[in-house]
Amino acid sequence: MEHVVFGIGVTALAGTLAAVAGAAENTESDIGSQGDPNSQVQLAPQMGYIHRIFNKAIAGEPPAYGLWCALGAGLAMGFMLLQYNPVLAIILGSALTVLVQGVYATTAYLGRIASLSKFGQPVYVDILKSMTTVTMAHAFIAIFTTVAICYLMNAALGHPFPLPLLGLVWGIALGAAGSATGNPFYGKERQYQLQKFGAGVPIAASGNIVRYAEAGQRNSLDNGWFSAKLGGPASGICFGLIVFLELWRTVIFEGIGAGWGAIIVGILLILVFTIIDRYIEVWARKTYGPYAKPEEAKS
Amino acid sequence: MTAIGAKPAAGAQMEPVPMAIGLILTLIIIAAAFVLTGSSMAVALVGIIVGGLLIGFGVHFVPVGGAPAAMGQAPGIATGVAMLAAGAGLAGLFGGAWAAELGFAVAIAGGAIGGGLMMAITCMMVTLIYVYGMGIPCASGKVAKDPISGDTQTEFKSQGTEGHGLPFSSYVGGVIGGILGGAGGTLIYLELLHIYEDKLPVILNAGIPAEVKTVAVSLAGIFAIGMFLVNAVLAAYNITGTTEGPADPKFKRFPRDIVASALASAVCGIVAIMIVL
Repeated sequence: MEHVVFGIGVTALAGTLAAVAGAAENTESDIGSQGDPNSQVQLAPQMGYIHRIFNKAIAGEPPAYGLWCALGAGLAMGFMLLQYNPVLAIILGSALTVLVQGVYATTAYLGRIASLSKFGQPVYVDILKSMTTVTMAHAFIAIFTTVAICYLMNAALGHPFPLPLLGLVWGIALGAAGSATGNPFYGKERQYQLQKFGAGVPIAASGNIVRYAEAGQRNSLDNGWFSAKLGGPASGICFGLIVFLELWRTVIFEGIGAGWGAIIVGILLILVFTIIDRYIEVWARKTYGPYAKPEEAKS
Repeated sequence: MTAIGAKPAAGAQMEPVPMAIGLILTLIIIAAAFVLTGSSMAVALVGIIVGGLLIGFGVHFVPVGGAPAAMGQAPGIATGVAMLAAGAGLAGLFGGAWAAELGFAVAIAGGAIGGGLMMAITCMMVTLIYVYGMGIPCASGKVAKDPISGDTQTEFKSQGTEGHGLPFSSYVGGVIGGILGGAGGTLIYLELLHIYEDKLPVILNAGIPAEVKTVAVSLAGIFAIGMFLVNAVLAAYNITGTTEGPADPKFKRFPRDIVASALASAVCGIVAIMIVL
């Protein structure tokens, strides 16, 4: 019984850390335009819209976070082998990894923006200095929390994978969950804030991103502020649910039916999320649409 | 007709000769494994190939809208095909590896459900963000009626787009893709783990197999992740860009990926086996 209670506590802690990781990851990637909306940031100068938005997208979020979390976990494991306290080891591993992320962000921004020089897009040194450090700070939170989750899985819950491998697996999952949930909010709601609410961006409007803020030109810190209101927390809930429910169903129900208990609970959870998804979809159809009669739409 | 809705000029047709060559090469590699390493290794290689096929086939179910989806210009999840599938499949592999000691069937099922659960949560959150965060209902750009729910789609598309969000068939496709990917990744991991647990103590001259357990788990895990990415990227090349999942016409391209995944998994699998012989 004690083992189960301990497992529940670790699961709750891991779920909470995952929620923070998801929120930090999405905000970091939105400040750096690392998700799919980077295509619009890159396209805008080519359409004549010069901007001050940061763009460090030379890798997708999942592989980038896979690398950073695996690196952070590997360094943390190295420090632990040198008899460092695990908490200190994870902090040091994450801090060193963030330096790599900073080099990545700097070279990526310079490379991507310099390639737009023929369209008159300048490289803003003040943007480079102010945005890079902010993405590094957010990346530290995301990497530290993810490596801490991996440590809990390995040391407290007894998962067989070593720490760097867990870092790679959950780093990729973190990037996948964060980009899937947060990208539309940043891409549609922020970059195309002047387009109508409740409709997709017409393809003809591609590249015409919002470039001006309440005062002066908009930069990526404004975008981070906006993403942190919904896209970030939603990504946090997404990754938090994934980590928490995956651990919860295993820790509590794996002992039932020689492991089949956890699988049956997993199937039930999938059905529950399917019902919720269908409810939201039907609610939206009843509340928002239709935009045209079916006959008109077909013609 | 817009750029997104345009039919691909090439790449959709099946080429029988390259597919036949691919199948023959796969069989040659399995035969070589049988001759060089014995029947048990050849059976393990077949298991690895089946795992690769499950991953490649599963990726075709995952609805991925890429950059257009991030602007609400096309349906699907706003990220890359290979990366999303990898995220789900590796989450499944995590669960499968954890359940490895409970037996083959439980581990495979655990991996499958782990991948499916990750996709179910992610797809639900995508719908939630589209509906409550952006006020956009789900609408397919490829089919007039959703094949599962029967909902009409065209009248919910906003002007100038090819649809948006995740229609119900895309949601179901995402979950199926996660399940197949999780099962495939776990199958590859288990096959390699058995081989490494048998062979590594001999190679490393370790008296107790438990001493090399960590090495075996790490090696099998790394190879499983690597093969997962190989098969996911191959499937992404086959899909070329965005897909709505099983309802998308591009889904019919999967036989070509089956052959490519079989061959790629055979090559990667025999390398993974040979390093401990």
